[in-house]
Amino acid sequence: MKYIIFCFTLLIYSCNSNKGTIKVKGSDTEVNLAVVLAEKFHDKNDSILISVSGGGSGLGIASLLNGTADIANSSRSINDEELQLFKKKNIQLSTFFFAQDAIAFVVSDQLPLDSINTKDLAKILSGDVKNWSSLIKQDIPINIYGRQNNSGTYEFVKKILNIHFSANAKQMNGNAQILESIKADNSGIGYVGAGYVMKGTTNGIKILKIFTVNSKAVSPLDEEKIASGSYFFQRPLFQYYKTQDYQKVKPFLDFEKTMEGLSIIKSSGYYPVKK
Amino acid sequence: MNANKRAITDWIFKQGFKTAGVVTIALLGGIFFMLLYNSISFFIKRSPLDFFTGSNWDPETNYSILPLIVSTAFVAIGSMVIAVPLGILTAAYISEFAPKKLQIILKPIIEMLAAIPSVAIGFLGIVLLGPVISVLFGIQNGLNALNGSILLSVMALPTIITISEDAINAVPKSHREASLALGANKWETLFKVTIPAAVPGLIAAVMLGLGRALGETMTVLMATGNAAAIPKNFLDSVRTITATIAIEMGEVPYQTTHYFALFAIASILFLITLVINLLGEYFANRLRKFHQ
Amino acid sequence: MKKKFSHLINWILLIGSTFLVCTFLGIILWDIFSKGAPALSWDFITQYPTNGMTKGGILPAMVGTVLLTFITTLFAVPFGVSCAVYLNEYAKPSLLTNIIRASIRNLAGIPSIIYGLFGLALFVQGLHFGTSVLSAGLTLGLLSLPYIITTTEEALKRIPNSMREATLALGATQFETIKDVILPKALPGILTGVILTLSRAAGETAPILFTGVAFYINGVTTSVNQEFMALPYHLYMLSTQHSAIETVRPLAYATAVVLIILVFMLNTVAFIIRFKYRTQD
Repeated sequence: MKYIIFCFTLLIYSCNSNKGTIKVKGSDTEVNLAVVLAEKFHDKNDSILISVSGGGSGLGIASLLNGTADIANSSRSINDEELQLFKKKNIQLSTFFFAQDAIAFVVSDQLPLDSINTKDLAKILSGDVKNWSSLIKQDIPINIYGRQNNSGTYEFVKKILNIHFSANAKQMNGNAQILESIKADNSGIGYVGAGYVMKGTTNGIKILKIFTVNSKAVSPLDEEKIASGSYFFQRPLFQYYKTQDYQKVKPFLDFEKTMEGLSIIKSSGYYPVKK
Repeated sequence: MNANKRAITDWIFKQGFKTAGVVTIALLGGIFFMLLYNSISFFIKRSPLDFFTGSNWDPETNYSILPLIVSTAFVAIGSMVIAVPLGILTAAYISEFAPKKLQIILKPIIEMLAAIPSVAIGFLGIVLLGPVISVLFGIQNGLNALNGSILLSVMALPTIITISEDAINAVPKSHREASLALGANKWETLFKVTIPAAVPGLIAAVMLGLGRALGETMTVLMATGNAAAIPKNFLDSVRTITATIAIEMGEVPYQTTHYFALFAIASILFLITLVINLLGEYFANRLRKFHQ
Repeated sequence: MKKKFSHLINWILLIGSTFLVCTFLGIILWDIFSKGAPALSWDFITQYPTNGMTKGGILPAMVGTVLLTFITTLFAVPFGVSCAVYLNEYAKPSLLTNIIRASIRNLAGIPSIIYGLFGLALFVQGLHFGTSVLSAGLTLGLLSLPYIITTTEEALKRIPNSMREATLALGATQFETIKDVILPKALPGILTGVILTLSRAAGETAPILFTGVAFYINGVTTSVNQEFMALPYHLYMLSTQHSAIETVRPLAYATAVVLIILVFMLNTVAFIIRFKYRTQD
């Protein structure tokens, strides 16, 4: 008897919730920003519960498609196959550009290399060049610390350099693990969102300047260069949502556009969107 | 309550219990069907030959389970190499030689070890064991098959110890007494009489411990580095079947080839653990029959 | 002389192994508690995480774990106990019941991530519960079923048939026998099984990964349709996914401490019940 009362109470409890929920999922590059935004949002509006998860841009978009997320954080633009899947389900998609990001290539500060050109980087990441000796005077094998294939950062690097990652590239669980690994491994090279290396965790690592055939070395920490779009590895950060859900996600999106939201974005190491 | 009302209540509850029983079994059976259905959906689209013999797990292009199986085998076998001798010897000590008072302390210790959640063990793999391995072997990163094997052995040990203990205890006293009466000392008795007699139960223990190691997800996800290439040695990073499912399942749109592929590898894992558990049960039954 | 030496080796092997195993436990507990206890405080258990989860407490994770375990129990106990009662008290022994029992035993050995997949396919996707406490709780409930069924059946089997026969002879119906005589007597055994299952469910991470756990929630989960935070996933996340892994390391350790204390407390309760039950027999 008591048991039945229990169940009943639980049922009432579950149906009675006045709180709306916004599920935000996706890019690990954006997840910490989303966490801080959600936290500050709660101070302004505590009638909406925001749950944030990482897992990679692929996860975000898939979750949006599957209905298990309301906003998909993505550090890459949605690709054709994914668009097809949305079309098949007759779902209209809207995009919100909320920040610019730069990808930093990091090595240990023990490595005597300060800048690298995109061609050499491509050869290293695809496994064609396995040793640092071609770039510096030391015979050290290269250890690649990268992301897994559900990561937008992974996809972006792969696409823009037009390579397949070496099968020996270690696939770490997130940006943070990559930094930890580089700090411990002075033969390593890894890539992370610039936001991760802007907030003071730079002991032990060095951010490489990138140069191409057309440009001189640019660092991802150079705000002006980013604003003018001159850094090779820079990209806009997206939030996708279903057009039909606009009213539901509007409160959070609006918050991101406010002064407070923008200052949070900046202090997390991202750049305002190119106008 | 008159007899009629009681009879009706009795009938109602009987149907209730029956329904609950049937629903439960149906749900559990559903797991089997889900795996089957989704795996078949995969094999319609991709060839089984590639699946079992290719050398690359690279979603969207190549779905080969081989590197994952090799990785899983590395950590599972590695963990057994550590856990089986340790486990059986410990069980032998606890059941044959430990004084009663020590037994009372040791059993809870083993239970406590079993109770530790896999995340906590994986956590220690990252923060404690990883650095130790990297210093010990002079490599840069301690997240590899060796790390995974050690952690998994810690998780499998309680199972192996408990069941081995049961097996050794179940050997009738008469065996030991006969051996001693014939002039053997307690060591010869232990190694040449008692343990061989307990072998069916010991095999059951190993099988069940192996089953546990194969099915572990979080520990290997955190501590093995997750590179999906075929490993060459224990200091290589590996990616097990369970870790692959955990990493990729969240990011697949439903009903795509990748989605089905993950169910396909889950089915293989299911089959492997099922076979191992069945073997374990078979030997455990031999143990029971032997001592009837 | 040689014999003495080989005897010594044997002693070393046996005692050494046992000692090594105990050392494993010792190292685990020592490392986690020594590095986690300093970060523990009343605030830690009662506050929300703040500052991008680099400070603050783990309250939502604890609430989430409790809520989750609650739903698991609500689902698994009635179904599991009913199934065991049906198998043991009502069903006539046959090949079918033996197959069912064997299947249930084997299901206990299936990897937890496969339960996660099933939960995803059935609860999240099929029944459209979405990622939520409900989906995750039901998934963990499924995971717990085999164990609850097996331990309940064992407890029921331990009751001698003479009790059933006597009660029936006195005119009780089968249901009344079960309700008033058998179940109360088997209760300690059943309870032990349930508590041990809960302790396992509280520590499980794999099945909740795609059925509803979230990295961060900016409030308390108040409805079963919402996502939730959980202790084991929090530990996983703090040690692998967080952006400031080194800064939050103490928090990770402290979370590990809380998780282990929770699990040990549950196991101790089960142990006490089982101890009293066995001595009473």
